[in-house]
Amino acid sequence: MKRILIVDDSFYMRTMLKNMLTDAGYEVVGEAPNGQTALELAKETTPDLITLDVILPDNTGLDVLKGIKAEQPDMKVIIVSAVGQEVIVNEALEYGALSYIVKPFSEEKVLEVVKKALDE
Amino acid sequence: MKSREQEYKEIFIAEALEYFDALNRLISELEKRPQDDKVLAEIFRMLHNLKANAKAIGYLQISDVSHKLETAFGLIRNKELSFSDEVVGVLFDGIDLLGELIKNIDSEQQIEPDPILIRNLDIIVDSLSDSTVELAKVQKFSSSRNLTLSDLIYIQVKKLDHLMNLVGELIIDRDRILSLSRELDNDELKMVSSHLYRITEDLQYSVMDARLVSIGTLFNKFPRVVRDIATAEKKEVDLELSGQDIQIDRNILQIMTDSLLHLVRNAITHGLEKPEQRSKAGKPKVGQLELSARSDRESVVISLTDDGKGIDLNQVRKAAVAQQLVPADVADGLPDTEVFSFLFEPGFSLAKEVTEYSGRGVGLDVVKNAIDSIGGRIRIDSKKGKGTTFTLQLPTSIAVKGALLFEIDSIFYAIPLIHTDLVVALDKDELHEVGDVLVADIKGETVTVVYLDELLNIPESAMRLGDKTKLKGQVQNIIIVSYNNRKLGLIVDKLYRQQDIVVKPLSKPLDSIDIYGGVTLLGTGKVCLVLDVPAITKYFISRR
Repeated sequence: MKRILIVDDSFYMRTMLKNMLTDAGYEVVGEAPNGQTALELAKETTPDLITLDVILPDNTGLDVLKGIKAEQPDMKVIIVSAVGQEVIVNEALEYGALSYIVKPFSEEKVLEVVKKALDE
Repeated sequence: MKSREQEYKEIFIAEALEYFDALNRLISELEKRPQDDKVLAEIFRMLHNLKANAKAIGYLQISDVSHKLETAFGLIRNKELSFSDEVVGVLFDGIDLLGELIKNIDSEQQIEPDPILIRNLDIIVDSLSDSTVELAKVQKFSSSRNLTLSDLIYIQVKKLDHLMNLVGELIIDRDRILSLSRELDNDELKMVSSHLYRITEDLQYSVMDARLVSIGTLFNKFPRVVRDIATAEKKEVDLELSGQDIQIDRNILQIMTDSLLHLVRNAITHGLEKPEQRSKAGKPKVGQLELSARSDRESVVISLTDDGKGIDLNQVRKAAVAQQLVPADVADGLPDTEVFSFLFEPGFSLAKEVTEYSGRGVGLDVVKNAIDSIGGRIRIDSKKGKGTTFTLQLPTSIAVKGALLFEIDSIFYAIPLIHTDLVVALDKDELHEVGDVLVADIKGETVTVVYLDELLNIPESAMRLGDKTKLKGQVQNIIIVSYNNRKLGLIVDKLYRQQDIVVKPLSKPLDSIDIYGGVTLLGTGKVCLVLDVPAITKYFISRR
């Protein structure tokens, strides 16, 4: 079973993502509401994939992405963003994020992007 | 799934209200320190989440207003809009509107945002530069300002427990006053006490109601659990849930959590067969598991049904004999319901007998104890090859119980209704001495009957449970109780009435006497012992 870490500051978003992913048979190994926890959990749980919200209360998603990539260069990261954050998304892709999901997202879209990233 | 939608909605509202409160705090801080980037970033983040969440769940008004505010704060952050008085006013109004929209999610009436306010928001969002001409168009908008607090509160279960205890004490005093008013025959006191009766009853149900949660909070965890266990066991399972909206006392649900998990795990591990075995048996490859809840008068009934291989009664009989729970000659004659009850004996296992049917029953005594502790009942129905159903009958409340009052040797006793099946009056001649016990034919079923006075009040050495001459009078009042699929008739001297009682546990050193579940005070002020049916059944069996 593929293991996924969710990073998002909104409990609602985390719950939705978690339900979508677990329903589809993935294991959600952790949920991080901020950048600090995200970095810790990425190290502790070594997931197969991380979904990363770009706006977090302590760090920016971009900083978290850099932090994760510094420790685990091969970690697969998907950016979760909203409309209007194209600049950050592009930057994130440059820093090694595999792809992105735009909020509000549909279940199909999430699963499609996650599956594709995991298959790569 | 309806309940998941409900869960999403509750989470959305709770989080949105948190954001709303934080936004109010932050914007006040920003007013004092307009240049504080950290505060701005926080505001921005919250509006951003609110917008995305609202869009996801479909509250478009909220996402729309959040979007406008987010844009406005974005302009402020990029120094394209200054934090002037007009702007601050509009932003405050906008946040208030958000709060109103969030709080109104649950109400029938949709609120229409004031067009002036929306226009003001549009003006500041669209005024790319600090065009005073544009901003001057901002109209005075005054909403009736009042402080509102959330309609929902979190409360510690401990506090509700305390409240329930107090209600219990009140009920005891109420019954005493009611009974005094009758004794004194005072009309005014009678009137007051009957009013008191109604109010305490209302209070009791209100407090009980406050402790209820929907069973879905537990049930909705099972799809995932079932999936994981099924994967590990290499089985295919289709779980069907129903009755998630049924309400049950939170503490009862808490106590039942492990037991339900245990039963579900058992059903998948030992009940349902592997796909290839199912195909061979002519069943669909995917095993069916049904977890359902329904209300049944004063109780909640949870049932778990699998269409697996079922329980082989002969295996159970053999295992019971092997584990010396019953002599071989008796085992053959036992009715099916009594055979099932062996599964709840501590340490009982089928595993030692036949590995193919291994395990069913392991740890079921733990489940049984949990259910006993809250005064519930459990029943097994199973057909070999067809499947098994566990039915759990649980009280809706722990503190207050419906009970049947009776008298033995001038002492009052109560017995919880959840364990009583029926009450019959039989002529002494209809009781038969069989071996060292009495039996009677009750609705076509042979039921062992015991004279409670003899069982409770006669020293063991002199106890003669099968002696009819001990009975007083010709007609015998018998309460048929049932525990662990076994029926037992209890002969009592006098039957009184049904009544809601508040059971107070026995305190030290009396708490070691387990045949009494506790005591209650009757309206007359008399102490009444509450019989514990599981314990009395076990005690009776040990005396035979």
